[in-house]
Amino acid sequence: MHASLAAIEYYLPERTVSTADLAREFPEWSAAKIETKTGIGCRHIAAPDECSSDLAVAAAQKLFAAGSARPEDIDYVVLCTQSPDHFLPTTACLVQNRLGIPTSAGALDINLGCSGYIYGLGLAEGLIATGQARSVLLLTAETYSKFMNERDRSVRTVFGDAAAATLLKAVHTQEPLMGPFIYGTDGAGGPNLVVPAGGMRQPRGPASAVEVADDQGNVRSQDDLYMNGPEIFNFTLSAVPESVERLLQKAGVALEDIDLFVFHQANRYMLEHLRKRLRIAPEKFYFALENCGNTVSSTIPIALKKASLEGVLKPGSRAMLVGFGVGYSWGAMILRPSEIA
Amino acid sequence: MTRAEFLKSVDEILELAPGTLQGPEKLEDFPLWDSTAMISFMALADSNNQTKLAPRAMGACETVEDLLRLAKVE
Repeated sequence: MHASLAAIEYYLPERTVSTADLAREFPEWSAAKIETKTGIGCRHIAAPDECSSDLAVAAAQKLFAAGSARPEDIDYVVLCTQSPDHFLPTTACLVQNRLGIPTSAGALDINLGCSGYIYGLGLAEGLIATGQARSVLLLTAETYSKFMNERDRSVRTVFGDAAAATLLKAVHTQEPLMGPFIYGTDGAGGPNLVVPAGGMRQPRGPASAVEVADDQGNVRSQDDLYMNGPEIFNFTLSAVPESVERLLQKAGVALEDIDLFVFHQANRYMLEHLRKRLRIAPEKFYFALENCGNTVSSTIPIALKKASLEGVLKPGSRAMLVGFGVGYSWGAMILRPSEIA
Repeated sequence: MTRAEFLKSVDEILELAPGTLQGPEKLEDFPLWDSTAMISFMALADSNNQTKLAPRAMGACETVEDLLRLAKVE
């Protein structure tokens, strides 16, 4: 038995922040410059009382409403988030209850960011291939906006909130439909994309809430998300081409054998540079961040859904998915899609 | 990429008229020399000079000339 990616749905919060809105807030940056650098025209932002579980439940309910599965069919929930409702209990457990998924189902959270979807699919394939589960609901949900300082344009121009629900079903096939997988980790990059305070290492308090402006005028405190853009770019220049090469070798295929490349949608400038460096043809490289921004672990499933609806991702084709970011953590895999609902 | 072409590309990154930069200019004098500009310069060096630049080393550069030296522009 192997896992087949049977359906994807995603949910975007109602409130939006357009590039024009941001240009008004940060007059030193024109809307045109923000769009050129990020490729993002609009980001969706969760309401103050809207948490990751709410977004995940909304995405899963869309999937159930579309008839792809019923809650009672699910026997395992994997939920990827770095902005959980609580330290404990596990967000996946709360979501199991709200969705009416049987209490006989397994449920766990994984704490990963932009690589999370690859790791989630890897876990789902493992659970199904070893007979531990037959229908895995993989949820990715983030509300990074709750970590962002209103006066930090370096992150506000890039990130948006979202959730995606992916259904993985057991199917009888000789060859896996997902894989091979490759993974990578380098915790030395942890300080370059971080929310310093709020955990046990540095609890939140008056000292952590003190706001400081950096030399570019971005304001943030230790309670807020910090991203060192140049260091993250430097990391991707090393990790992504190496991952693509390692995966091609493991799969025993050439770059030309891949029909579609779906990378984590970090920002358009970075992706376009990687595409050119890897010599990937533009028509084989998918972009899907204009209307939602960088939604962390949900960028790849959102892109897959859009590519499937547009007929760019065809059943039986060979797609390469690459996730990379916070941690540092990265992963890549080959997907042989069936008909994605 | 020649030194002149590199300088012209840095003009573009800093939204200056082509031919503005010669080398001795101080980076701190350009308000647009920010993290986004640094990323653009890293991409330029990577694409055209096959040179990977460490952000920390870029941060230590004081002049445009220092940047070109780091990117191994002849």
